Amino acid sequence: MEQLKTIGRELAMSSQGGFGQSKEFLDLIKSIGETRSKAEEDRIVLREIDTLKARLSSPNTPKFKLKEYLMRLIYVEMLGHDASFGYIHAVKMTHDESLSLKRTGYLAVTLFLNEDHDLIILIVNTIQKDLKSDNYLVVCAALNAVCRLINEETIPAVLPQVVELLGHQKEAVRKKAVMALHRFYQRSPGSVSHLISNFRKRLCDNDPGVMAASLCPLFDLIVIDVNSYKDLTVSFVNILKQVAERRLPKSYDYHQMPAPFIQIKLLKILSLLGNGDKKSSEQMYTILGDIIRKCDSDSNIGNAVLYECICCVSSIHPNPKLLESAADTISKFLKSDSHNLKYLGIDALGRLIRISPEIAEQHQLAVIDCLEDPDDTLKRKTFDLLYKMTKSSNVEVIVDRMIDYMISINDHHYKTEIASRCVELAEQFAPSNQWFIQTMNKVFEHAGDLVNPKVAHNLMRLIAEGFGEDDDTADSQLRSSAVESYLRIIGEPKLPSNFLQVICWVLGEYGTADGKYSASYITGKLCDATEAHSTDDTVKAYAVTALMKIYSFEIAAGRKVDMLPECQSLIEELLASSSTDLQQRAYELQAVICLDARAVENIMPMDANCEDIEIDKNLSFLDAYVQESLEKGAQPYIPEDVRSGLSNISNFRSQDHESSTHALRFEAYELPKPSVPSKVPSVLSSSAELVPITQPSYVAEVHQPASSALTVSSSGSSELKLRLEGVQKKWGRPAFSSTTPSPSSSDTFGSNNGTTQHESISSTKSKVHNVSYDSRKQQTEVSSEKKKLAASLFGGASKSDRKQSYSGQKVSKTNSHASDKSIIAEATSSSDTAAVRPTSQPPPDLLDLGEQTVTSSAPSVDPFKQLEGLLNLTQDTTNLSSSGVSMPDAPDLMSIYADMSSSSQSTTVAPPPNVTKAHLAKQPSKGSNVQEFLEKDALVRQVGVTPSGQNPNLFKDLLD
Amino acid sequence: MGIRFILMVNKQGQTRLAQYYEYLTLEERRALEGEIVRKCLARNEQQCSFVEHRNYKIVYRRYASLFFLVGVDNEENELAILEFIHLLVETMDRHFGNVCELDIMFHLEKAHFMLEEMVMNGCIVETSKANILSPIQLMDKAS
Repeated sequence: MEQLKTIGRELAMSSQGGFGQSKEFLDLIKSIGETRSKAEEDRIVLREIDTLKARLSSPNTPKFKLKEYLMRLIYVEMLGHDASFGYIHAVKMTHDESLSLKRTGYLAVTLFLNEDHDLIILIVNTIQKDLKSDNYLVVCAALNAVCRLINEETIPAVLPQVVELLGHQKEAVRKKAVMALHRFYQRSPGSVSHLISNFRKRLCDNDPGVMAASLCPLFDLIVIDVNSYKDLTVSFVNILKQVAERRLPKSYDYHQMPAPFIQIKLLKILSLLGNGDKKSSEQMYTILGDIIRKCDSDSNIGNAVLYECICCVSSIHPNPKLLESAADTISKFLKSDSHNLKYLGIDALGRLIRISPEIAEQHQLAVIDCLEDPDDTLKRKTFDLLYKMTKSSNVEVIVDRMIDYMISINDHHYKTEIASRCVELAEQFAPSNQWFIQTMNKVFEHAGDLVNPKVAHNLMRLIAEGFGEDDDTADSQLRSSAVESYLRIIGEPKLPSNFLQVICWVLGEYGTADGKYSASYITGKLCDATEAHSTDDTVKAYAVTALMKIYSFEIAAGRKVDMLPECQSLIEELLASSSTDLQQRAYELQAVICLDARAVENIMPMDANCEDIEIDKNLSFLDAYVQESLEKGAQPYIPEDVRSGLSNISNFRSQDHESSTHALRFEAYELPKPSVPSKVPSVLSSSAELVPITQPSYVAEVHQPASSALTVSSSGSSELKLRLEGVQKKWGRPAFSSTTPSPSSSDTFGSNNGTTQHESISSTKSKVHNVSYDSRKQQTEVSSEKKKLAASLFGGASKSDRKQSYSGQKVSKTNSHASDKSIIAEATSSSDTAAVRPTSQPPPDLLDLGEQTVTSSAPSVDPFKQLEGLLNLTQDTTNLSSSGVSMPDAPDLMSIYADMSSSSQSTTVAPPPNVTKAHLAKQPSKGSNVQEFLEKDALVRQVGVTPSGQNPNLFKDLLD
Repeated sequence: MGIRFILMVNKQGQTRLAQYYEYLTLEERRALEGEIVRKCLARNEQQCSFVEHRNYKIVYRRYASLFFLVGVDNEENELAILEFIHLLVETMDRHFGNVCELDIMFHLEKAHFMLEEMVMNGCIVETSKANILSPIQLMDKAS
């Protein structure tokens, strides 16, 4: 049948061929239509390109032929091939006198060119001319082109004419002029800011088409600045009323609905105007009620308008009656067989629960159905809804579901989104640390490369700090279980880099802590991991540092270190690595394991990553030493700026190391004259090619009196100290819900809040565990499974059902609720968080979203801001110490530095050379050791040899 | 901006009409069309007429062998867009009479002219069939 029709059409076409389209064109379209493969289509189009190139270049092509060629060009581009060779012909055709040719020309130009194309300049003139045409169809065609082709720079060329056309006698022209102005506003709001009142004027146009068009720009304007348009609320309500009462021409009706598309646009505008504004909202209640009542819920378009009404009702100041009818409509949607309506129902539910959380409960089974539907679109919408209604009592079920789904999909865009949502929910509502770590492990394992690196740092911090309660056994249990799970996971192929870093760090810190695993077992695992991910320098760096920690702990515990052969070969490989960071770590590792137990214990204290680092800015611990030296006749220390006569102290302390090196550092270096004669200055200045930077750092560290373990930080400049203080403040307070730190409400209930939160978490903990266990067990009982899920999601389904299965947890459940409520009370009383909350907040029910605000305000300081600050600084120092040797992948490596220096006190961060110098300056007569070293260093630099690092004598000298 | 693009693609995945309201390069268009069509073809009648793709939401409707796909951003009323597609088809039907894929292929410019009347700057501006078709009819008379 369809074929017959096709043949008939072809016959009709070919008979038309005489004046409309040529046989050639018909054949082309037919052959394109008949192709069955992309390759075949490409062949036809490529042949067509050749034909067109030849035809278009011949000088006397008749005009009607040209129009056809242009359409063929459009085909060429539409099918994915480049037709730029013909663009100029499209431009030329816009000059044509004939309306049909002109409009085709404009069409082709708008399809081919974007607004910044070079050829546009050739069209602007034509557009200007056409805007003045007597034929309103020509003006319309030109205005269409204006909307597509005029960019910011060319707006002034046509703006006066467009404004004039706003008063054109033809409504079609006025409508398009409004849209042209709208387009100018989109491109460059500033260029038309003085003309915005025209949109208000056109809202009152006699023609409904022009009025409807003016709603588009007004909507955009209201989105940006709602307050300037509150006065129009009455007008919009009136227009909506007239539309709903069928005052518009019949031709706007669609499926018996009066102008539904205009209604929808108006409803969108009203929901903006009524948002958080009781007075404006009250003006809308009547008309909204009328529309909801009158809408035909059997037709798609009726439901589309109803849906828009619900959106509006849930956005404006709440009205109980309207909310009730909105809820009724939602149940109709959800009960419908149509997936489209279910989709809208779920979406609308998500909007309405912000105002009346209790309505979710009656739809729980429908929601579960949608969640389990094979249709991805519906499923995702349902996840959106669940995300909005997550709280601490259902977070486990929801996040588990999300993760299962995340694992099952390949779509990166959505995977990223859902992974970050999982992390966000887990951080906000985690009932226990155990669960949090397991959840994060899963997220990392399956989407580690997609989540924000901050998440990894949060996880490490959580493991290090534990719950924040003073319960050491719980903390060490947590760590043990983390270590255990990581040892299991580390062997898997293809782990995301982020996750491996966490694993390495945790294994290094806590791998041997509980004595369950031997050092050689852990180190073996670490070496395997680096081997499996041999291209990832960051992971290697983490692994090497982890090795160093484990060996240090062994030495400190008085055990003999037997380095596995694979570790040895790994370290040897890294000693020669092209990454200076890896090299340095390897050298440091070598140096540390040669030291005795006492020194190692000070350098690498066990489980000290959470301890506050106190920095003695004045180096007062050296006072006695200085005094002694002075008594022996040493010169007193003259501050550097005084000595060099430079008064730019600020410059010295500024972080901009570029300027400070040039201004000061070189001056300072001249004091101790090394005995290697000729080349010293050049060595200093040309040290860029030289590698041996590690050595001075050892000296600086180790020659400190053993009483201060915190060499690095204590010897740092005042700048360094300040930074670290900030970081500690952050890390002192345990709070793992740090995704959305809101500065507004931080101070008001800082620490108090933290404790309350923990209470709620711990009281829900027991209960939720049982729930999830139950729901897992119930998987076999198909009939009640859904109800279970619903109960665990919604907190309380049908009461009887819950009594049967949850009687045991009832007490703890109420407990958790009590604490929930207290939190809410606190949140509402003490925090005016940015979120707009309905004033008539219903009593906190099962679906309260109040907690969100609580947790979001918990951390008062953004740890990463500070980490970044620290990072910059460490970067500076390392750059200095490495004397400009190129640092591949600097930011990543630096972040490790930041991590190490602040959290594990690993003492191995190289202090900047100027620190060493400062000491020297302070103890000018310290003796031959330092000078000896400097000589060695200078010699080494000159020769360009990497120092062996295995020079125990050197350290012994300095230590004693 | 609500509507980002309007596509008509047949069952074989061949593009029959493409109108973008934001600039994409030829390669981007080609890739986007391929991905979307594959996604929509894999879906069955019962499933939603909406699909998420990258940062777009695609609303689609099938008429015989031809798919109408509209890419919108997140704020748009999906069901209304679905009905907008039907309005477009009804309008074309009124003009061509029993519109079919070949009508659009042979009169691609007319299909575009109708769209130019209905959508500007990514917004629905005209929904009266009479207003949409009158310029086209006048032009037909003139030529």
